[in-house]
Amino acid sequence: MLKDISLGKFVDTGSILHRIDPRVKVLMYALYLVAIFMITTPAALALMGLIVLAQLLVARMPLKTVKNTVAPIIPLTIFIFLLNILTIKTGDVIWHRWKITITDNGLERASIMAVRLIFLILSTSVMLTLTTTPLKIADALERIFSPLKVIKVPVHEMAMMMSIALRFIPTLIEETDKIMKAQISRGADYDTGSFLNRIKGYVTVLVPLFVASFKRAEELAVAMDARCYRGGEGRTKLNPLKIVAIDVIVGLILAIGAVGPVVLDRVIRSL
Amino acid sequence: MENVVIAQQVEFSYKTVLPDGQKVDKKAVNGLSLEIAKGSYTAILGPNGSGKSTLAKLIDVLEVPDAGSMLVFGVNTRDEDEFWGIRENCACVFQNPDNQIVGTIVEEDVAFGPENLGVPNPELRQRVDNALKDVGIYDLAQRQAASLSGGQKQKLAIAGALAMDPDILILDESTSMLDPNSRDEFLSVVERLRLEKGLTVITITHDMGEAARCDEIFVVEGGRISMHGTPSEIFADDYKVTAAGLDLPVHIKLTSEIAKSIGARLTSDQLVSEESCIETIRDMITAARVTAAAPDKAPEVLPDRRKILSVEGLSYSYDDGKTKAIEDINLDVYEGEVLAIVGKSGCGKTTLISHLNAILRPQSGDVKLYIDDRTLSASHKKDILELRQNVGLVFQYPESQLFEETVFKDIAYGLRKMGLSESEQRLRVHEAAKAVGLSESQLVKSPFDLSGGRKRRAAMAGVLAMKPKVLVLDEPAAGLDPRGRRDMFAIIDELRKNGTTIILVSHNMDEAAAHADRVCCIGHGKVLAVDTPDKLFADEERLKQMDIAQPALFAFAGKVKAELKRVIPGAVFDLPKKTAEEEAEAILRGCASASRTKESEGGEHA
Repeated sequence: MLKDISLGKFVDTGSILHRIDPRVKVLMYALYLVAIFMITTPAALALMGLIVLAQLLVARMPLKTVKNTVAPIIPLTIFIFLLNILTIKTGDVIWHRWKITITDNGLERASIMAVRLIFLILSTSVMLTLTTTPLKIADALERIFSPLKVIKVPVHEMAMMMSIALRFIPTLIEETDKIMKAQISRGADYDTGSFLNRIKGYVTVLVPLFVASFKRAEELAVAMDARCYRGGEGRTKLNPLKIVAIDVIVGLILAIGAVGPVVLDRVIRSL
Repeated sequence: MENVVIAQQVEFSYKTVLPDGQKVDKKAVNGLSLEIAKGSYTAILGPNGSGKSTLAKLIDVLEVPDAGSMLVFGVNTRDEDEFWGIRENCACVFQNPDNQIVGTIVEEDVAFGPENLGVPNPELRQRVDNALKDVGIYDLAQRQAASLSGGQKQKLAIAGALAMDPDILILDESTSMLDPNSRDEFLSVVERLRLEKGLTVITITHDMGEAARCDEIFVVEGGRISMHGTPSEIFADDYKVTAAGLDLPVHIKLTSEIAKSIGARLTSDQLVSEESCIETIRDMITAARVTAAAPDKAPEVLPDRRKILSVEGLSYSYDDGKTKAIEDINLDVYEGEVLAIVGKSGCGKTTLISHLNAILRPQSGDVKLYIDDRTLSASHKKDILELRQNVGLVFQYPESQLFEETVFKDIAYGLRKMGLSESEQRLRVHEAAKAVGLSESQLVKSPFDLSGGRKRRAAMAGVLAMKPKVLVLDEPAAGLDPRGRRDMFAIIDELRKNGTTIILVSHNMDEAAAHADRVCCIGHGKVLAVDTPDKLFADEERLKQMDIAQPALFAFAGKVKAELKRVIPGAVFDLPKKTAEEEAEAILRGCASASRTKESEGGEHA
């Protein structure tokens, strides 16, 4: 059930993408983020799709993991697709019935938005969460943003908060699954009934989940205190980050992969 | 010897603010004084809520006393400049490992503590590796922490503490989730580290067997020390121990039961070890020349056994068939019996019981329930709702699933789903509440305001109210103190008397032996053996093969009987008994029969 969701889960296949410096991955991820939102032409989008696919192959992600990563955002994708297609009224009308009008502009924009969202999730996963442990991501963010410490931005604290949030995702999913099973065995039914009833049904899951989460947070704080956590000052690292030749090479290849579709996009549009 | 912890008249309250803005002080520690010597092994015992965990936090400077003084390594914990020094040298491991793991990968998590201490790299790597080796999970170093089993997580939490290279190690119920074999393994690791590194170990535990291994015991009640002494001194006073809500370790329990029957008095120096207990029993029996003992109670005959539930060729695997959780399980359950399912953690127990009410649907094989001349099958979709009503499943730590505003509403949840009338609901809620010992006044409270043990009973009542024919309990006594355990098993025994069929999942072999009619051993997803506890648990060879621990009572009784056979030739003993009381009588009977045969032989000669 819920356990299958891959969002935010680290999947170790030991690929080259797993091994390169997380700072390279974070920076390249930022580059891809921008690139994905800059391109609009179908050809450029297709190229980007191929590049993301290539990354998945290089990361040796099992098909099931990819499926489970995309599945949870499908409803959101459909929602965004519908929202765009129903609200954009510019361009030629291609379908009209009752109060619903679909235009070619609307269809195009909606499709682009949906495809972008899926690319976004896939590249977030393959560049970051699936191939990098949360502590490493936090570590990378902390190092990248460390200059901001000068202007009193709590960089370390924010990085730590993020890594803990990510670390607890699998735990909370497991807990949700357990609670649901217990309520199902008492006759709860999450799959049938009206929409409102189903939402109401989830109260039986959310209440105990919240109560448990507060308790967890409290206990975790005490445990971190007991392990002498006192902020970033004076901490050492078991695996300190070090950029070596391979990181630079992979970084460059990834950068070309991000810039390529944008260039193609610009070329096509300027024609 | 030097004392590393000295508490003098320590007082501490938790400050809470009620929703209406009123501030309330809840006194957790109230005038507590104790001294703990360097390198010693100390147990802190006492009921839940007595202030034991607060004491651990006060030692590790996670809390500071309101009054009195707490000196650790000779430094007052209130000293703002020095307290880091205490915390760096004092490591705490708490009960729930899930809430202590910070890192995603096992080795990242172990490194968290020493990283905070600023340990530089070659040494840091070595500490992490050594700590992982010490607890025996070095091969898991690169695994994800979330994917570990409960027992492995507990070992990970302990490795995280050891990597800080502490002088004091505080274990706050840290072994509660381990199965008996892993627990013994772990306790020997702690013992070794203590002797090698001069570690001071303070263990907060409900396990009397563990307490008996310590040098010293402090019993905490109502926030202060109520008893203090060596294990033999504490456990010599049966009455006081029970009054404090504790139990006796099984070897002392059996010794004291035999002493009671004979009318002998025990002194603490007779109880210092298992060996001395065996000698004491031997000497008591030979000196008293036992001739008569109460006759054996007629063995309980189960009424004609009707099959109520059967598991037929059930298999289940995760990850598209890659990980087999259970394989070809065949098991019959009879009406009115208590069947215990035992096995190491990760053996497939939870997967099996999740099938019993069709939370998991069989991939192959079937689960059938026989009620009122009808057969319900887990593989028939139309039977599922009825199956879930008739097989009640109480998961581990069920109190974490409560959600309603009042206990009453929570218990009635399943009944509302069944569509019962208001009056019928009310009737059933009251019945169920009574069965688990909840009072009327507790029914109107919020479930979150109840104590831990009561919360669990409220959650159980929610399942009982549905009047299941078969009740499945997954580790019902996990995390409860000895008194809570006794209460829980009293409830279970009462339910059994009223005809409910009970399936009890446990890793505590003594409880399985004491309360089950039959025991089913599961290992690596398969049924290894199903038998009555006396036959199954008496066979040491077979248990070893199955990698199942022998109940401590059976193991100790076996040693006593071997010694008695040596000194009283002709003594014949029955199969092991379920409780120490029955076992004491059985041993005396076995010895008495020997002396009778001897006397009659003697008569012939004369």
